[in-house]
Amino acid sequence: MRRMAVGVLLAISLSPDAAAHQLDEYLQATLIGVTRDGIDVEIQLTPGVAVLPMLLAVIDRDRDGRISVEEERVYAARVAREVELRVDGAPAALWLMETTFPPLEAMREGLGTIRMKLRTMRTGHTLRFENRHLPQISVYLVNCLAAPADGLVVSGQERDEAQRSIVFEYSFAAGAAPGSLAAWIAVLGMLLVALIYRWKPREVA
Amino acid sequence: MSKINFLAAVLCCGLAQAQSPSSVASTIVAGANGFLSSLDEGQRSKVLFDFNDAAQRVKWSNLPTTMVPRAGLKMGDLSEAQRKAAMGLLAATLSKRGYEKVLAIMGGDEALKTAGGARGATMFGRDLYYISILGKPSVKDPWMLQFGGHHLALNITMVGREDILTPSHTAAQPAKYTVDGTTVRPLGAENDKAFALINALDEGQRKQAILNYKVANLVLGPGQDGKTIQPEGIKCSAMNASQQAMLLDLAGEWAGIIHEQAAAVRMAEIKAHLAETWFAWSGPTTNGMPAYYRIQGPTLVIEYAPQPLGGDPTMHIHTMYRDPTNDYGKKSTGH
Repeated sequence: MRRMAVGVLLAISLSPDAAAHQLDEYLQATLIGVTRDGIDVEIQLTPGVAVLPMLLAVIDRDRDGRISVEEERVYAARVAREVELRVDGAPAALWLMETTFPPLEAMREGLGTIRMKLRTMRTGHTLRFENRHLPQISVYLVNCLAAPADGLVVSGQERDEAQRSIVFEYSFAAGAAPGSLAAWIAVLGMLLVALIYRWKPREVA
Repeated sequence: MSKINFLAAVLCCGLAQAQSPSSVASTIVAGANGFLSSLDEGQRSKVLFDFNDAAQRVKWSNLPTTMVPRAGLKMGDLSEAQRKAAMGLLAATLSKRGYEKVLAIMGGDEALKTAGGARGATMFGRDLYYISILGKPSVKDPWMLQFGGHHLALNITMVGREDILTPSHTAAQPAKYTVDGTTVRPLGAENDKAFALINALDEGQRKQAILNYKVANLVLGPGQDGKTIQPEGIKCSAMNASQQAMLLDLAGEWAGIIHEQAAAVRMAEIKAHLAETWFAWSGPTTNGMPAYYRIQGPTLVIEYAPQPLGGDPTMHIHTMYRDPTNDYGKKSTGH
């Protein structure tokens, strides 16, 4: 193998931490799934290592260096409050179905993602979603999932420049499979799981 | 395995490109068996997985292996001969330009290692790429070859001449470096061809193609298997023949990573769906500036996303290549 003489041509940070990605931003990625039975909102929150102290100041309310079950719950509730879903112009209440926090050490490496799943039973034809959570440190992605098998037709997608909000029209093609009893049972099951879910506190390494 | 048989297997790998579809499959299988034969029992148990091992199938990432551990065998743990056999297998499975792209990505990681000091030495470099095989290498039955590490994840499902390369992730940091005075840009063609295409569109077409919002990262990157988003941008049916050819050429930078026969089948499929394929762009249109783009059709998702690091985002690129109908060969193999 020939000897490599490396010369990086442009100025760039090549530190190991820089390779951990999204260094100085809080990436908030939202995927919206529209079904005949309601709307699913999946939010993935990934803090860059440089903004983690600011995020921990929000989450770790008692400053004990741990993220407790209660602190996870309070933070997830805050995020849920700071996103808004409107269906046909009217606010649609979002149920927090599931929250998963990564180990704090993973977040320190820049690869820990907090995952939240929310749901509303509301249906309609015009959807608007807005994320107002921590705009000072965040970048956003928001997209509507495609569901051609369900006959979903989406049109007129519009976002603001920062992707904090999205609005679109939607409908379902005639003849596509309607929502099933099984889907409703699954939703009730998820609600039950959310109620009995037990979080474990995570130590600060 | 004798040295002669082992060398024959390695040599076979290099000859794969000029062969018929059935002999390409045979050559790849011979390369896989040659590699496996070069290993001891303990190594074989590490590199082999069940074809239906769903957990291993999705164990890939853009991140360094020290952050997201991979399974399989690490290049740095192989002898020189074993490593040569592993890379020979990869060369047989890929096209010449695909293999060169892989080497350039790994070379970039070696550059990171060199520039990263003591910690960089533990996180980056050619030694930290992993190989794994799911199933038994066969010309008849499906099996899978995985190769990857930081900024690289090749998931190749072997199903005859329609070998499947999706989902795969290519990336580069630094996106431009020199080796012995020669400039290397692992994803340079992906960048330059895209800028050429966006600038080949007329004003009305560009208005359709360019999104009015920023895209900060991959939307369907690692961990987003099975998802598809609503397409946006300009539909290829609104492009002229020359522009469509440019888009196909651009898509070929991903579809053409795999060996020529499988690439030809894949390109024909992409071309067949061209009228329903979309091209979306976010960012400036001057080459050298950071811009995101996405090519999306019924069987195709390609994303190209410069990464903000507080430095120059054009020096750190992530890309994603998917077939939402056939990732991991699920349609072709029925798993």
